[in-house]
Amino acid sequence: MNLARVFTKAIITSPERQQEADADFTVVKRVQAGEVAAFDQLILKYRERVFGVVYNLTANREDASDLTQDAFIKAFQSINRFQGNCSFFTWLYKIAVNTTLSHLRKNRLRSFFSLEKLHEDGTNVEVLEQLTDKKGADRDTYLRELQEKLNEALQKLSIPHRTVITLFEIDGLSHSEIAEVMGCSEGTVRSRLHYAKQFLQGELGKYLQS
Amino acid sequence: MLNSEQRSKVTVESLLRLKRSERPAPEFWSTFERELRQKQLTALLEKRPWWREMPQLLARRAYLPIGATAVLAFTLVSVKFYAPTQLVQLESPSSGDAAAMVNRAAARTPVAAVEEAPSINRSENANSLSDGRRENVAMAAEAPAQADDDGSASTVNTPVTSTDSPSSRYIATNLDRLEKTDPELVQAVMGSRLSAPARVQTASLPLNEFASVPNNLARRSRILAQYNERPLNPEPSAPELVRERLARRLGDSDINDRISRIGLKGDQVSLGLTLRL
Repeated sequence: MNLARVFTKAIITSPERQQEADADFTVVKRVQAGEVAAFDQLILKYRERVFGVVYNLTANREDASDLTQDAFIKAFQSINRFQGNCSFFTWLYKIAVNTTLSHLRKNRLRSFFSLEKLHEDGTNVEVLEQLTDKKGADRDTYLRELQEKLNEALQKLSIPHRTVITLFEIDGLSHSEIAEVMGCSEGTVRSRLHYAKQFLQGELGKYLQS
Repeated sequence: MLNSEQRSKVTVESLLRLKRSERPAPEFWSTFERELRQKQLTALLEKRPWWREMPQLLARRAYLPIGATAVLAFTLVSVKFYAPTQLVQLESPSSGDAAAMVNRAAARTPVAAVEEAPSINRSENANSLSDGRRENVAMAAEAPAQADDDGSASTVNTPVTSTDSPSSRYIATNLDRLEKTDPELVQAVMGSRLSAPARVQTASLPLNEFASVPNNLARRSRILAQYNERPLNPEPSAPELVRERLARRLGDSDINDRISRIGLKGDQVSLGLTLRL
């Protein structure tokens, strides 16, 4: 086992994540050996997560779709360069985030919302019950308004702060993984995270305070 | 509206987790997969520029030492095998055809030198040979053994030792040419006992004789001047016709030019030439 793999295991502390990374690396080896169809497994496994990251950064479903496809294409073209120095999903996230940030910098002045529908399921019912006691059309209108305010507040954040809080709070990455994806230190990640939360608390105070 | 107890439990983190519920419909993924497949095929067919592959090539550091070793070995082998050829070219850069003819003469030298060595010592021209010249003849005589052992390498090295200067090569070339065009004349002047290679050695030696010849004369004039200074002793057996032709040729060669006047005017120089036949 080379030093890169040892270093990767040091970053990935969770055993589940480690198993996942090893399984991905096996698939990547097959792709590198010429089995192109094996890359479809990686697409199916990560397309929703990658789309989620890109969508939360852009707040535009069409842009998110294109950028997610571009990220997978870039990963496919560069798959031979992947040596296992980090986990595959971290590497893929890095490609997706860099592609998205490049797009956002190019189109800084041209941004508009194109939001997905907010699905009510078991994970968010409790929060939604806490936020509103309305039913029917009033509830949908309220949730729509909340969704727009939430995305609006996120878009007011700078790109690095938006990226950090998206990866940490929405996608559930650890500080070290975010540092790996963004190419900065964990301290920088924590600092940006703290600032972004303070900013969002100020912007979303209407929904947080009585 | 929410009451204050419920609102107090809502945090920024819980609000942000609502974003996880913003998911596209299942139909979206079929479109996504189709578009991705098209882009993937396009990317496979698209030819990437060569500089995009450079980082990948440089990343394969394991191959670099092998490539460097191969280049170094090729360079060493090239230098080793091509150095002798370059040496010969450097030593005879201006000789051209003369060098080639001298090479041919030198290749013939060993046999001729071994056969003709006694006669050289008997002739008048051979008596004027210095010790160094005899060394040259002796070295030429050793050449066949080298040619037998080494093949072309000794043949290449031979002209370097048998030719002293470009002037001697020119003389040898002219002699060879004259021998082809007018063999009777050469035989009458030089005698028949000296072979061509031996004459090359003889002709290349008296460099001090050429010191009196102006450098601006043509090769033909220099050769004829050399003949002019030699005692003309044609063999009694030579035909009368040959003697007449030889006398006529030498008469034609007695052409000298002289600078009689030099004038300077401004930035111009005028020369007055007098031709004497």
